[in-house]
Amino acid sequence: MLRISAGIFGFMMLCPALPVLAGTISVQAMLANHEPFAGAVITVRGETSHAPVAPISAILDQINLTFVPDIIVIPVGSTVEFPNSDSVSHQIYSFSPTKRFQLPLYHGKPYPPVHFDEAGVVTLGCNIHDRMVGYIVVTDAAYFGRTDARGIWSATNVPRGTYHVSLWHPLLRDSAASLDREVSVTGDESATATVQLAQALRPAPLPATARSRDAY
Amino acid sequence: MNALRTLVAASALCAAAPGIAWSTDWELSADMRLVDSDGQRSLFDGGFGALQYDREHDGVQIGRLRAAITQPLGDVWALKVDASYFGQDDQHPLGVTEAYLEYRPYPIDGWRTRVRIGAYYPPVSLEDTASGWSSPYTLSNSALNSWLGEEVRAIGVEGQLEWLGTRTGHDFDLGMTGAIFGWNEPAGTVVGTGGFSLSDFQTSIPQGYVGGRGAAAFPEQPIFHEIDGHEGFYLGADARYLDRVTLLALHYDDRANPTAVDLAGNEAWDTHFNSAGVKVDAGGGWTAIIQWLAGTTAVVYSGDAYSYPFHARFALISREWGRNTVSARYDVFGIESNAEDDLGAEDGHAWTVAYIFDQSLRWRFALEWMHVTSDSAARVVLLDEPGYARENQTQLSVRYTIGSGR
Repeated sequence: MLRISAGIFGFMMLCPALPVLAGTISVQAMLANHEPFAGAVITVRGETSHAPVAPISAILDQINLTFVPDIIVIPVGSTVEFPNSDSVSHQIYSFSPTKRFQLPLYHGKPYPPVHFDEAGVVTLGCNIHDRMVGYIVVTDAAYFGRTDARGIWSATNVPRGTYHVSLWHPLLRDSAASLDREVSVTGDESATATVQLAQALRPAPLPATARSRDAY
Repeated sequence: MNALRTLVAASALCAAAPGIAWSTDWELSADMRLVDSDGQRSLFDGGFGALQYDREHDGVQIGRLRAAITQPLGDVWALKVDASYFGQDDQHPLGVTEAYLEYRPYPIDGWRTRVRIGAYYPPVSLEDTASGWSSPYTLSNSALNSWLGEEVRAIGVEGQLEWLGTRTGHDFDLGMTGAIFGWNEPAGTVVGTGGFSLSDFQTSIPQGYVGGRGAAAFPEQPIFHEIDGHEGFYLGADARYLDRVTLLALHYDDRANPTAVDLAGNEAWDTHFNSAGVKVDAGGGWTAIIQWLAGTTAVVYSGDAYSYPFHARFALISREWGRNTVSARYDVFGIESNAEDDLGAEDGHAWTVAYIFDQSLRWRFALEWMHVTSDSAARVVLLDEPGYARENQTQLSVRYTIGSGR
């Protein structure tokens, strides 16, 4: 089985057909304090329909009582495997409407991958270790990925047209609609969208430490 | 009470069902101490010192030997047993501190229920959040939580309802807890007759004693014992802001009849208390806890009614960086008494400073210094000693742990 780590998909894009004229879409995401916004999920949809992006097989591991990576972005129809590299048991769950499931993950006992066939955000938790939280963004967008350390994400070979750019992150306080942008690709030049948050992010979850791993 | 007894017994039988194939999480640990103390005769030797180790019992000591197991019984049931030997208790080679069956179904639409059946701590302590109901900040518990470890355990049924708001786009989680319990009516004996102390000792179930070395300054009475057939209860609530702030409140009442005495002469103590606290994990490794507890315990002895209002509170600040944790705590505690000679009355405060080095998941090294100042009427009335005492204790701890998660 083809296994592709979700991290690889930061810059993934698939084009339905080779265009005659194609450009680049670049997104610059900035925090409220004007620092780069790293790790934001960017999805780009065209005004016209596109061929579905091919599903993938991704892995979302559990290492030191943490989901690794904390967020993955996958096309609709993809599968995700939860291998549990910890030496303790986990009970992974989602009650998100996009996909509800429950996985008892005991060490050394693999569980079949989970299939995600509807677009939306899936919030993951562990019924044993409440501090664990992870996210799967299932998207039907033509182009998607996460911003890098400079807060930048870009897609190349984008056919001419008008595109709708959306930004999402679990710690956002801004409304999602206020962060939507439109860009037009008119030729082989780069179309740039800047997304500036108005509000600070929620505090990030505290990192797992020796103290949290020794929990009662 | 009969229904409660039947439910606990049936659960124990269910948990003992053989042939379970789910993976087991377990831990074994040994905690050895090197202690220097100038303390008076401790609670564990029938004295009224406020320290865990007195001047007669310092040097090399066994801190705690612990075995714990979590055995899943299907996806949503688990049996949890925690057993320890504490160096202060030479009557029980290995005593169970908690043993319960837990039902923890997966959340539905952000709501989750949890049921515990067996013997467990009420959700009071914001301090004892590490394995085996121990503190990750210091070696010794605050006076407040030391008392819980000595005398308080619910043996019965607890239900909890949680709203997991942080998993549905909100900033808060909320929870409510309620329990009905029995077999805890002597709770109050130690605080009412021996006063507060600061230790990491936990009385074992079912027939644990505090004062196990046999001195007679206060009665040796099993802590976990049913005397009058009245169930106790507690109700609690908690709220969490993200993973940064936790608020906790609980009302506990053993509903004991203070005139009840069983055939062995064990007395029921009517004990109720309220507790509230806040814990802030501020980021950067900083943690602050403030917790408060106040209540009353009462007993009728030889026709005379004795009442002991008591309170304990503490503030703790801690910083964790890398494998290091440094913590400081200030405790205040006090007991009033309606006895003519003031017997049972006490006032005290304590400073504790600790450094913990988590060398690995297996090895932990810790150094703790504690200073307690207290004034106890019992020292004057029963021991003919000065009531006022200043005591100091320094502990060096080496703990080694193995287990499925280590």
